[in-house]
Formats: sequence, structure tokens, C-alpha cells
Amino acid sequence: MVVDDHPMWRDAVARDLADAGFEVVAALGEGASALRVIGAAQPDVVVADLRLPDISGVEVTRGVLAARPAARVLILSASGEQQDVLDAVKAGAAGYILKSASRAEFLDAVRRTAAGDAVFTPGLAGLVLGEFRRLAASPATGGQHAPQLTDREAEVLRMVATGLSYKQIAERLVLSHRTVQNHVQNTLTKLHLHNRVELVRYAIEHGLDSAAGQPGSGHDVG
Amino acid sequence: MGLQAPLWRAIAAYRFASLAYAAVLLVLNRADYSHLPWAWVILAGMVAWTAVTTRAYAVPARRTHTLLAADLLVTAAALLSTAAVQYAASTYQANMPVTATWIAGPVLAWAVAAGRRAGMAAAIALGICDLILVHRSLVHIEGPGLNGPILLLLSGWVVGYVSRLATQAESALQRATEIEAASRERERIARDIHDSVLQVLALVQRRGTEAGGEAAEIGRLAGEQEAALRTLIGTGSEQAIPFGELDLRTLLTRDATALVSVITPAEPVRLSGEAAEQTALAVRAALDNVRQHCGEGTHAWVLVEDEGAVVTVTIRDDGTGIPPGRLADAAADGRLGVSHAIRGRIRDLGGSASVNSGPGAGTEVRLRIPRAGQMA
Repeated sequence: MVVDDHPMWRDAVARDLADAGFEVVAALGEGASALRVIGAAQPDVVVADLRLPDISGVEVTRGVLAARPAARVLILSASGEQQDVLDAVKAGAAGYILKSASRAEFLDAVRRTAAGDAVFTPGLAGLVLGEFRRLAASPATGGQHAPQLTDREAEVLRMVATGLSYKQIAERLVLSHRTVQNHVQNTLTKLHLHNRVELVRYAIEHGLDSAAGQPGSGHDVG
Repeated sequence: MGLQAPLWRAIAAYRFASLAYAAVLLVLNRADYSHLPWAWVILAGMVAWTAVTTRAYAVPARRTHTLLAADLLVTAAALLSTAAVQYAASTYQANMPVTATWIAGPVLAWAVAAGRRAGMAAAIALGICDLILVHRSLVHIEGPGLNGPILLLLSGWVVGYVSRLATQAESALQRATEIEAASRERERIARDIHDSVLQVLALVQRRGTEAGGEAAEIGRLAGEQEAALRTLIGTGSEQAIPFGELDLRTLLTRDATALVSVITPAEPVRLSGEAAEQTALAVRAALDNVRQHCGEGTHAWVLVEDEGAVVTVTIRDDGTGIPPGRLADAAADGRLGVSHAIRGRIRDLGGSASVNSGPGAGTEVRLRIPRAGQMA
């Protein structure tokens, strides 16, 4: 499923995906309509532009995962939208890829997303590093509840952020490719978990816990 | 004239109110007047002058020095004429002159037109007239006689101060409005460019790179223009930076091209203006080195990390790397490029720079810049 308001991009992305053997179940220009058809279209992967005319890519991510937890969201972003990208990833997006990426990189990202891997570009690694620092330094989280990166995870993220491939990192640190991938994935899982804890805390503080706590009343918020 | 207009209206209202008061006093104290009809003539003149000044002061262009001077002279004349129409004895008892509180009109006008000094000057001039009137015979020099002039002086000072404040507030408001309008417009243009030109440039870059050959060159150019244009319009969430500080991200993002990725946190990385600019120059020197010494098509990554007390910038390239000893040789030969442009700048900021390289492994330059006032 492709969500992008720019017709040229939407068509190009859909065509690339179709050419590469993916089945494009829907290509839409608005976030709200994407969320409406999500049940009928049953996409495995949603490629969503971060900036949409109606709702943001962050909300699309949240909505898609609420309606279809099994789906995976890949954010398509222009550069310079770091905060929004970070919010989308915290809301559960599997990763993001810049619009300036080549077709091969893009298709590779979609394949990895479909396979359940995080798509960790150097840019995302930098954002995640920064977010962990912010959480650790922020007085609101008190430091103790803030998720922390292990030294190894920080080291791996820093290498990803300076453009090293998993293979190169594995060679440098004498680890297996899979281990490197796990370290990277773990950092995202920690962020998602923390985001969920924050949502629940917010709900409790604002008296929403009774509604949210009822079994079967809502969807998976992550 | 925004905030000035209400002040002038208030002065006009004050003048008419004080005229009514003067008329009431004239009726009540008619026994004190030796020439009552002439007192009424003076009052009629005051009414006429009030009408003239009210109309004149209403138009900014007519608030000339001549009008203000005439206002003061007419008022002083009306005040002094009291001597001719009132019994001298009643004046000595510090009764109100025929003009009563009306004499404050020009003081307020001078204060609003030219500030508190002018207001006080007018007050002193009229105060002297008042004192001349009261102490014509120098018989009674008493405290209460000074109350009027002092009140006049204070009102000149206060109104002048308020008027100046209003003018300043107004120009500040105007500036803020202009800035807001400009940034609104800038945001609108940024949105438009983001939704149209940038999308097309990004697409051209992507398609061109795939097509290869000459199209790849066009694609590369489109990509560079996309990055440049994006930096220019500054999309993304901009947070306020305290005066004197800069967001290192903004400076470094300018160096981003199709081959140079600048990786930053989502939040601003604040440094003092000097530190941010020197760091950006050091990074640019490092990137220049990459361009000079590594072949075409070498990628470089600039990672910015904010560690609180220290800001770390890592510049890594996937080039051929620097053979061991090469940097030391260059410095010994007097070619100070790397040492001076990078190390020197960072050392001046109290930080440190390290270079890690090996043949075939690319080069990694790591800069650590302490935040001002905090030791690394």
C-alpha cells in the first residue's frame, strides 16, 4: 500500500514496487482514506509519505498499526524532517528512507520491512542516538525510567550513523551479521516500549485508564 | 498613529472637562472678580482656543512646533489675565485663577508630542506664570501656592513618560507584526516549494541516477539543488535558539550534498555562536580534505552527537584512507592543512580532534567540542 499525496511520486513508487514483484493493493493520496481502506486492503507493508495533506505520517503509522498490528510501516521522507521521522519511528514505524534514495535502496528497504527487519539508515541511527541522550538527560523522565543503550548498542548505532554497513560493522567488532542486526533492532524495541509506557502513564495521569484498561475495548496502541 | 491618537483624544477631553470646571468656579466665585464680564470673555476665548487646538491636534501633520508654542502662549496669557479681572486679595489667598485647571492642556500636549522633558518645560513656564500671579506683591509666599506648579510638573513628567512608552510599545508591536507576517509568508513559500519543486527535484535525482550516464549527472545536480533549496527554505520544526547561540545542525546541514550525509539528532544542538562557526569551518576543512585526497564518488558522513557537556562531531569517509605517518609528514613539510584548519580551530575552543585512518579503511575525524563554561 502506498500513501503519498504527490501523484508523480505515488505512481513512481507504485510502479517500482509492481515491477519488483510486489502486489500494490492500494495507492492513495490522503492519510484518512488510507486508514479507511486498511481493513479491506489488508496490506503487509505500508509505504507512507511523512507529509500528507490531511493527517501526518505519524498519525498514519499509529492508525495503521492500531487497525492492523501485523502490518509494517515504512516512512518515505524528505530530508530535514527529523523530529517527524523520530515521532513516526517511536509510533512504531519500522524505519524510514529518504526520497533521494535510489530505487535499489528503496526496494531493498521495502523487502527488509516486509521481512520484519528495521530499516536503519545512518540518519535514523543518528536520530535514535540523539533520542536516547535526550531521554537520559530529560528531568521529566527522571533518568531512572529512561531506557538506556548498552555500550555495545551505542557503538553499533554510531557506526551505522557514520555510514558503515552491517557487514563492515560485523567485521570491525568481530560479531556476526545477525548480532549486529539484533543490537540495532533492540534499540528500536526499547524506544517503542518506552513510548508505550509513556502513553499508558499519560492515560493514567489524565484519567483515561478506566477506558483503556477494559479488555477488548481498544486496539494495540503501539 | 495607533497608540498616540487615544492620548490626544484624552487631552481634548481633559480640556473640555477643565473648561466646564473653570465655568463652574467662575459662577461660584463670582464675588472674587472685579471685572466679571471680562472674566467671561476670557472664558469664551478659552472655549474658542480649545475648539481650535482640539481640531488641530487631531491631525498628526498639524502638530507642529508653532502650534505647540502658540498653545503655551495663549494659555499663559489667559492665566496672567487673571490679574486684570480678579480682586488682588482673592489671588493672594491662592484662589483658582480664571483658567483653573485648564492650564494643564499645553503641558499634556507638549509631553505627548515631545516627551517628558518638553512636558516639564511647559509645566515650568506655566508654573512661573502662576507664581508671578500669586506673588505679584511678594506679600504672601506660602506653601500651598506651590501645589499647582508642582502638580503641573509631575503631570508633564508622567504623561511624557507614558507617551514615550506608548510610542516604543507601538514600534515594537509593529516590528513584531512585520516579523510575524514575514515568517508566515516564508512558511507558506517553504510549504509550496516543499510540495512542488522539491518533490520533482528528488524524483529527477532518483530517476537520473537509475538511468545512468548523462542523466545520472543531471540527477546528481538535481539532488544537490534539492539539498541546497531545502536548506534555504529551512523546512522542519525550528525551535527558538537563545540569542548568541547557534544550532550546529543548521550550519552543518549546509554542507550536505548527494555525497555528504549530515546526521543529527532531532533536537537543536546549541553552541555559542563562535564555537558553532569554528566547528562548522573545521568540518568543512575535513570535507575539503575528503574531496581533495579521495577520488570522485567518495561518500562522507558527518555525525553530530550532543552529549551534554560535550558536542561530538564525527566525519567519516569511505575513501582510500591516509597512509600511516602521512599527516605528520605533511605538517613537517609545512603543509598545515589538516593540523591547522581542524586541530587548531578545535583546540582554540578547548576541545580535541583525533584522526583515525588506515589504508583502505577510510578516514575518521572525531572532534570533541566542550560547551562553554563546562569542562570536557
